[in-house]
Amino acid sequence: MIRRVLPVPRHLDLVTLGCAVTLSILGILFVASTTGGGRLQGLATRQALWVTVGLAAMGAAVLIDYRTVLKLSFAIYCLSLLPLVYLLFFGESIANVKSWIRFGGFQFQPAEVAKIATALLVAYVFENEDDARLKAAALLKLCVIVGIPFLLVAVQPDVGLASTFLPILFVGLFFGGLPARSWIALALIVLVLAGAGWLVLKDYQKERIGTFIDPEADMLGAGYQVRQSKIAVGSGGFFGKGFRAGTQSQLRFLPVQHTDFILAVIAEEWGFLGVILVLGLFAALLLRALKLAQTARDRGGVFLVLALSGMIFFSVTMNAAMMVGLLPTTGIPLPLVSYGGSSVATTFLAIGLILGVEYRRFANA
Amino acid sequence: MLRVRENRRALTRRIEVARVAVGTVFALLATAYWYIQIVRGEHYFTLSEENRIRSVKITAPRGYILDRHGSILAENEPAYTLHLYRRESRNLGASVDLAGRVTQLPRHELEARMQRGLRDPEFLPIPLAENLRIEEVAAIQARAPEHPEFAIAVSQRRLYRYGGAAAHALGYLSEATPEQIRRARQYRLGDWIGQKGVEATYERLLAGTNGERRVIVDSHGREISEDNRIEARPGQNLFLTIDLSLQQIAEEYFRDRVGAAVALDPRTGDILALVSSPAYDPNWFTRRVTAREWGGLLANADHPLQNRALQSAYPPGSVFKVFIAYGALARGLVDPEWRVFCPGHAPFYGRTFRCHREEGHGWVHLRDAIKVSCDVYFYNLGRRLGVDRIGEIARGFGFGEATGVDLAFDRSGLVPSEEWALKKRKARWYPSETISVSIGQGPILVTPIQIARALSGLVQAGRLPTPHLFLAGQDPRTGRRLRYTPEWKAGTPLAAEKLAIVKEGMWAVLNEPGGTAYLSRIPGVAAGGKTGTVQVIGRESTPRPGADLRKLEDHAWFAGFAPLDDPRIVVAVFVENGGHGSAAAAPLGKLLLAGGVGKPIGPPPQPAPSLERAGFSPAALRGGAFRP
Repeated sequence: MIRRVLPVPRHLDLVTLGCAVTLSILGILFVASTTGGGRLQGLATRQALWVTVGLAAMGAAVLIDYRTVLKLSFAIYCLSLLPLVYLLFFGESIANVKSWIRFGGFQFQPAEVAKIATALLVAYVFENEDDARLKAAALLKLCVIVGIPFLLVAVQPDVGLASTFLPILFVGLFFGGLPARSWIALALIVLVLAGAGWLVLKDYQKERIGTFIDPEADMLGAGYQVRQSKIAVGSGGFFGKGFRAGTQSQLRFLPVQHTDFILAVIAEEWGFLGVILVLGLFAALLLRALKLAQTARDRGGVFLVLALSGMIFFSVTMNAAMMVGLLPTTGIPLPLVSYGGSSVATTFLAIGLILGVEYRRFANA
Repeated sequence: MLRVRENRRALTRRIEVARVAVGTVFALLATAYWYIQIVRGEHYFTLSEENRIRSVKITAPRGYILDRHGSILAENEPAYTLHLYRRESRNLGASVDLAGRVTQLPRHELEARMQRGLRDPEFLPIPLAENLRIEEVAAIQARAPEHPEFAIAVSQRRLYRYGGAAAHALGYLSEATPEQIRRARQYRLGDWIGQKGVEATYERLLAGTNGERRVIVDSHGREISEDNRIEARPGQNLFLTIDLSLQQIAEEYFRDRVGAAVALDPRTGDILALVSSPAYDPNWFTRRVTAREWGGLLANADHPLQNRALQSAYPPGSVFKVFIAYGALARGLVDPEWRVFCPGHAPFYGRTFRCHREEGHGWVHLRDAIKVSCDVYFYNLGRRLGVDRIGEIARGFGFGEATGVDLAFDRSGLVPSEEWALKKRKARWYPSETISVSIGQGPILVTPIQIARALSGLVQAGRLPTPHLFLAGQDPRTGRRLRYTPEWKAGTPLAAEKLAIVKEGMWAVLNEPGGTAYLSRIPGVAAGGKTGTVQVIGRESTPRPGADLRKLEDHAWFAGFAPLDDPRIVVAVFVENGGHGSAAAAPLGKLLLAGGVGKPIGPPPQPAPSLERAGFSPAALRGGAFRP
């Protein structure tokens, strides 16, 4: 229908685009709901600005041929790692972690850009791997490509943010065709690493995981967040308490509600209907993206779409599970909805790349 | 193109798997939200309501305590507490610094309070300092823009206007003990509750009923708005029977003495004055007693917390003689003209008993025996009566039983009998003991308030009033009053002409040369009285080496009434280790009796703060409006 009215290019996928834009508008709306008045006022305007920046980045990503970008992906990857290395030495701690670069009044998380670059390079690697089975050389490359930014972010130390690189690795392993035997070996390695990781984790991180296992143990510390978030979600009921009428969020019982816990705000104010709306939009976006992946013209495109969708899928499910205490709170924002310029802009960039793959489906090389 | 598709068959299959997986994960998430929002929704809704709505107690203002003429003895004043809301503080160290600069409290103490407070839920403020002075409150408020973490909480604090005046009648407030909280549900930890005195007796009347505010708070515990409000019902104002000017006369006398005094209106049982010395300042408790102050109070050998007027039971000494005389007359066991020759001593049961006047009183009859307090006369009378009849007479005056006063620790003392000797003492009663008891020595114990009540009964020919401090309660909002209905106990009645003989003897004590309290006679007032002296050690024995000689001095008693016809005031004065009753106790009796009949001796007492200041009308309560 829209196509009849607007001169929309034939291969621009409106389902993906529509879901993304709707989600970002919901985001601005609920950032406004939770930050009206007080020291957080004006964040909604800022979020809208970032959405605009994201839309511009998306447009650019659609227009530039992704195959050209894939060819340059190694350089992009290397460039994106530079700020992470810089942070390692000169980073300024914000909330215990050095993951932000500040310029002017803005803060930016270079790890978000690095994720896109990593996805690009992984896609580039798989463009030339046309075997049904993953080869050892490709496996090694994959591990190194994902491993470097993962470790750089993990030592910031922001394990939550670092973990968002893992879906790229997983996409490579699964769609690249890792044999069943290797999956078992991998599971064992993960178990061992998890044990070792427990020894390396910072106290506050252990506390969060401990809280996840027994939320009642520390009711007023880390357990407070999970508890308040569950109360917010649960008290929303089916229809919710109404926009800007959530007591948990408006009276600030919810922690960092405009960033990590925005879904809890939506759940409280718009109830189960709001949750279904948000989760439904994400499900539609991701299922659509997977469909697009199937029809992409080349393997590079397929893997690019898969890697980027995997990233988004991982963040959405982690975040949504955090709200209701199914997973420990790890500080992963809800893509497109949570307040945060780097996250919104780079997610739109990712959407742009996905759309770009579809856009050039029938283009000649 | 075809080649590409063939190569991709595996990949396409994996993507199909992925689509199913993605769909499943989203379905599971939706299920989780459905469970929390729909199945458990009501539960979480309740929790969210509990989160945002907090009940705040409205403490009912405690009723004032006033004397019978409306002078305020106990009132309330605002007390300021410094609260720290830790979530508002940018730097807790800097906050403590400021609190230290303003309050001058040592830093380590503030730190300790902070540490204690940090254990409480985050939304609760930490009380850093209590009882701020008004300048300190102003200093904190001036810094509010840079230090939003501080708040001043205003509460009501009990203020006893006259410090230690009437302390034992008033009692004091302290934080409710866990045991008191268990007994009375409405108290919570940190609530103030009356301890001892009328503060305890009339706790429910004075305390009123606390109200409640349901307020909507944010996660900082800061109030956003009020949801619902139940007003507090203020406590009643309590008018005591105490006459502050008489009370102050007695307290002045006891400034450097140990003992007690009670003044009663014999017609109603109104306690006009009730003194126990040494006293304490009830304001100490309201300002939170420090461990050192408590230690000082408890270690004081004279036990300031003890109410001697009710708790100190001693032999009545010669004061007892008037009750014996009355009892014997009432039973027809003595003729007022019956005479005894007093040579200064007399033998009974193989032992010589001495009169306090070595050269003797010569021939004495009942009236003169009271006037000169002749021991030999009462030895003979006592022997005629026997211990059981003496006990019966004593009980007829309320000795050996609690007086029923509206204060705790109302002791009953001891009245002997042969049965008591066998049952409690496990030794038979010796007839020679009867001789001692007949002059109020030996195993007979009475309290000052019992003496005052007994004498009230005596002057009213056997009508024993119940002493009480409650005069009236007044609802401060409606002005409605609750009045005291006097209570009585019927004692032994006595014909007017016989009572006149006893009263005349007591008049002679004060007003005839040779009377034991002649030096305390009151010009222009027909008063009667009786002195008493209680030996602490036997006359012949010598004190142990190292004993506190002051503690070996005799105890002094005086009991008196005025005026002679239709007495309006009865006093009982007891001075511990004061020496002779005529020298140590009678002078206060004189001052109280004179004051009680409206002819005070000496400078008038300091003006009392007026009742109008407190905002209620005393007119109806003045001038003994509550007397029956």
